[in-house]
Amino acid sequence: MKSGIRTCLLGGAMSVGLVVTGPAFAAECIAPANPGGGWDFTCRTIGKIMFDIGAVDKPIQVTNMAGGGGGLAYSHVVNERNDDGELIVAASSATATRLAQNAYAGHTADQVRFLGAIGADPGIIAVAADSPFQSLGDLLDAVKADPSSVTFAGGSAAGGFDHLKVLMALGRVGFTDITRVKYIGVDGGADAITQTIGGHTQAMTGDMSEVVGFLKAGDIRVIAVFTEERVPGFEQIPTAREQGVDIVSVNWRGLYVPKGISADDHAKWSDALAKVAASPEWAEAMVANGLAPFTLVGDGFETWLGGVIGEIETLSREIGVIK
Amino acid sequence: MKTDRIFGLGVVCVALAYVASATQIESGFLSDPVGSRTFPYIVGAIAVVCGLVIALRPDDDPAWPSLSTFGRIALALVVMYGFAVTLRPVGFLIPAAVASAALSYLIDPRPVAAIASGLGLSIGLFAIFKFGLGLGLAPFGRLLTG
Amino acid sequence: MELFANLAQGFAVALTITTMALAIGGCFLGTVIGSLPGLGPSNGVAILIPLAFSLGLDATEALVFMTSVYFGAMYGGRISSILLNIPGDEPALMTTLDGYPMAKQGRAGDALVLSGVASFVGALLATIALMLLAPILARIAYLFGPAEYFALYLLAFCTLGGLASRNQAKSALAAVIGLGIAMIGLDNQTGLPRLTFGEMHLMDGVDFLVAIVGLFAVSEVFIFIESHGKNSAIGVRLERITIPVRDIVNSFFTMLRSTAIGFVAGVLPGAGASLGSFLAYMAEKSIGRDRDSFGTGNPRGVAAPEAGNNAAAGGALVPMLTLGVPGSGTTAVLLALLLTLNITPGPLLFEERPEVVWGLIAALLIANVVLLVMNVPMVKFFVRILSVPPWILLPGITMVSFGGIYSLSGSSFDLILMILFGLFGYIFRKIGVPTVPIILGILLGNKMEDSLRRAMVISDGDWTYLFSSGISTGLWIAAVAGFIAPMFLRRFLAKPEPVAD
Repeated sequence: MKSGIRTCLLGGAMSVGLVVTGPAFAAECIAPANPGGGWDFTCRTIGKIMFDIGAVDKPIQVTNMAGGGGGLAYSHVVNERNDDGELIVAASSATATRLAQNAYAGHTADQVRFLGAIGADPGIIAVAADSPFQSLGDLLDAVKADPSSVTFAGGSAAGGFDHLKVLMALGRVGFTDITRVKYIGVDGGADAITQTIGGHTQAMTGDMSEVVGFLKAGDIRVIAVFTEERVPGFEQIPTAREQGVDIVSVNWRGLYVPKGISADDHAKWSDALAKVAASPEWAEAMVANGLAPFTLVGDGFETWLGGVIGEIETLSREIGVIK
Repeated sequence: MKTDRIFGLGVVCVALAYVASATQIESGFLSDPVGSRTFPYIVGAIAVVCGLVIALRPDDDPAWPSLSTFGRIALALVVMYGFAVTLRPVGFLIPAAVASAALSYLIDPRPVAAIASGLGLSIGLFAIFKFGLGLGLAPFGRLLTG
Repeated sequence: MELFANLAQGFAVALTITTMALAIGGCFLGTVIGSLPGLGPSNGVAILIPLAFSLGLDATEALVFMTSVYFGAMYGGRISSILLNIPGDEPALMTTLDGYPMAKQGRAGDALVLSGVASFVGALLATIALMLLAPILARIAYLFGPAEYFALYLLAFCTLGGLASRNQAKSALAAVIGLGIAMIGLDNQTGLPRLTFGEMHLMDGVDFLVAIVGLFAVSEVFIFIESHGKNSAIGVRLERITIPVRDIVNSFFTMLRSTAIGFVAGVLPGAGASLGSFLAYMAEKSIGRDRDSFGTGNPRGVAAPEAGNNAAAGGALVPMLTLGVPGSGTTAVLLALLLTLNITPGPLLFEERPEVVWGLIAALLIANVVLLVMNVPMVKFFVRILSVPPWILLPGITMVSFGGIYSLSGSSFDLILMILFGLFGYIFRKIGVPTVPIILGILLGNKMEDSLRRAMVISDGDWTYLFSSGISTGLWIAAVAGFIAPMFLRRFLAKPEPVAD
């Protein structure tokens, strides 16, 4: 008995020792993945800036809820938190891709409200610095001539966004035998670059933020960026459009909120997100992380997203990821 | 002897079921030279071989506990299961107190000590988790707080 | 010397009263988190990131604090491995093999001190290597493509045969069970779910933490209910705690060799700390004269995996800092932390942000010393755990495990899965199926399959690609040797195994 009390006291003392000025958290941001990825970045950065600029009055607590490529968090929000006005969830192109591919166990995009995107990571294709491919045209021609001569590496699984970008680009230049395109999905963009620099794969498909350091170090050459205009700060990189491949594809970063929240709460979060988008802190964070400005908040975003999901759905059906 | 024979055959059955469900894996149009099913097939095949070897060349039987001990282990399982499913709706404190008191009693059947350790562990650990480490645990779930 | 100038700069950044306090606090918190089953270093770091922010720490302070937590958790993982046979996290898995038998013999204190020293040696040397060689070592990662990684995982599985268990079929079965579980989840090469039976919780596969906690911690409760604590370390009379000088001296070269192996495994992004400690242990076991005593409480079997996994933790910082490739779950979290602090790791980090890199290295050195100084006296405190009566200790461990897993995943599903693992863990332990290979199978199975399939995509199904480089061929030879050697050794060298009664 005595030792029981001792254990309790010990536990109590320890916990008192461990309590460190924990502020009360008001709202919660769910990052539907383990720490370290884009969603985690979104929650932590946007949450921090919202508090720093006074858009919310208490710090936002970040919860990681990994599972089903974001599907677990999605169904958690739809089924259990549908009217929680103090909840925001990180989203990106991957969310849209998986919704389009029906990878969230039957959930659809209209079961939550997509709040907006406030930055985008431009899609890119990169090759090793010593690669013979000098332009996007060179690379696509090589694939057309012999699909087995080029392996693409990307950070998403086959059928994911990085893979689809390559297929879309090839589709634009008239190559339709898409199941013969060689693609390996590795553990993240940096891994894909490592494989490409090491010569194990010939090209890397990913996002600008993933390659910035390697680009500056001169280890790789980015042969195309999938934006409408050249990206500020990276003016030397030609767009795919300039090279005659009409594709625009960015990995946007944004948030969604539960569908059942009040109009006031929705307005509050839209407002806070718009404030973050306009803040110098966010501009700084974007530059540091290779994001391009891409602000679309509110109804306009929901409409735009509907179009994007439609296109991904069509393409996914073509390559057989969905039936 | 008997234990391993039964276990080995059990392994063979489970492995065959595993292979059977592996045949149902969808591979879509995007298939690679190895494919989605090869590894599960290999794994299942090795498991079948292992199961057969264990069944044919059994070790001596371990000392299995008495029926009443099995009963207590089964009770411990039920307690843990109950804790797992009530944790979300009822919150941490009450299920943790009940479950740890029950486990304590199963290990050493002294009611007062069991209740004390249940209460102490539930409150003490909650304090550590919540305030020390900042984990997201609710003290009382939605069922109680409405 | 530029190096010393850099280091001095680092210490100037990292060595203030605030940062020292943070280092000590971080090491303590990390040790506690690492020793709790179900909360490993990666969760520890993830959990405490918000704390770093709410304390309003600046970049360097946050970095010092988090690296202290990281290394603290690496140290802490061994504590429950040794005392309770429950690995606090996956790199501490191998430490159970000899650490727990030592505790059962009343030598828990010795095992803890020895493993603390081994951890220190591993981590210190790894930090020095990181300091001297990081930019060069980063190039090694480029050499490892899918074919090389496949050969590396194959090596790990081939040497598994020499591990534990009298019955080879049961060892092999254990590894296969792990591999079979690893197959569950989203298939990376097709993007489609496998063997999930439509259950969304299984889409990302079975979390190895759930498996570890189930197989080791939960099953321990059942074993205890059955045996009433016979054949357990709980309540064993402890010898007086002294510094086991002889063990430390005897295992000095073990520590050095294990550090080298662990560090290389850490530098390879696909390998990581668990593989590092596993290979370090197996290497020591295969070259030792006393190989038969491995698994029965050989001090070198405690020193090897601890030096190996801490060296791997240091090594893993190489690809993380120079390539931005996280080699393990924990480095992934540290990477996230750096990104939140607006520091982007990559090939230019050493040139562009020297204060960050050298500050980090200085922080590592500080954390290491703090941990050694803190850990040795704390051993007295830790071994007390064994004198807590089992009717408090075991429910306590169970609650910690459930609480830890639940607060990370937020689902009852994982808890129920964990109970199932506990039940099977009990049955396996009764029947003599070793549980360590199951965890290794879960940890490495997917990586092994993925690397083979990637290699086959690249080569269009040409198998010769697997042997196409010097590195992969070398690893294949080692793997084949590692597979065959134990059979021959068993036949010609080892004494006949005593028949169990």
